Amino acid sequence: MKDQQLHIAWGSLMALSLGSTLLSQPGIWALWPVAAGVGALVLAWLKARIVLSRYLGLAAAPSWQRGFEISLALFCLLLLGLYLLPHYPG
Amino acid sequence: MSDTSVLDELPGELLMWVLIISELLVFGAGLVAFLSVRATDPDGFAQAQSALHRTGAGINTIILITSGFLAALAHQLRLAGSRGRARMALISAASLGVIFLWVKGLEYASKAAGGISWETHPFFTFYYLLTGFHAAHVVAGILLLLLVACYDAPRNIETGVAFWHMVDLVWLLLFPVIYLLQ
Repeated sequence: MKDQQLHIAWGSLMALSLGSTLLSQPGIWALWPVAAGVGALVLAWLKARIVLSRYLGLAAAPSWQRGFEISLALFCLLLLGLYLLPHYPG
Repeated sequence: MSDTSVLDELPGELLMWVLIISELLVFGAGLVAFLSVRATDPDGFAQAQSALHRTGAGINTIILITSGFLAALAHQLRLAGSRGRARMALISAASLGVIFLWVKGLEYASKAAGGISWETHPFFTFYYLLTGFHAAHVVAGILLLLLVACYDAPRNIETGVAFWHMVDLVWLLLFPVIYLLQ
């Protein structure tokens, strides 16, 4: 069962990384810089959650998982805010 | 009254978690500093970033998450008593780490050939500092994976593999901030 969960985690990470690779195309950033930035950080957040819960095993420690996930979400929001700053200078 | 504390819920060694959290805070501070400085010169940062090889970094992401999968699998295999297969998985994970460093080396070499150094632009100061510090952790992680492949008690493997996942986790956050956000 745990092996199966690991395979699912790896497959999910590969799919999300494919999404990140698609986002690396420069044309997307020229057309939709804000949406692309939000997408890149959301994908990173989702991947980091999988690594924490499945690879590092926090799924077995729900209170720690919650703490890490809240901290991670706040950190990604901070990164997003700093990224958006030059796009909305006023 | 229970004798177990909330710390006992954490999988693996507590000290490894202290190290993981410390490293995440250091890299996190680096990424926040990077984006803060970028906010003062977004055009300069975008121009400097265009010299990076995003595809190579994307390949490195796939290499690291696959390596992390093999490392996690090694722990499962060792718990199931498959010592030989666990060792092979650890050595394979370490080998993928070496490939990651090779791709990174190619990237650094192409920058050097193009006359780009850490002094070229503040972007590259952060780029070399953050990716170089991460690469140093990859080297440490490879050595640790090989060490626990030799001394393969389940507890040792769990600890070594946790360090490797931290290296993986840091890269997943470095990649979009350094290579993608424009």
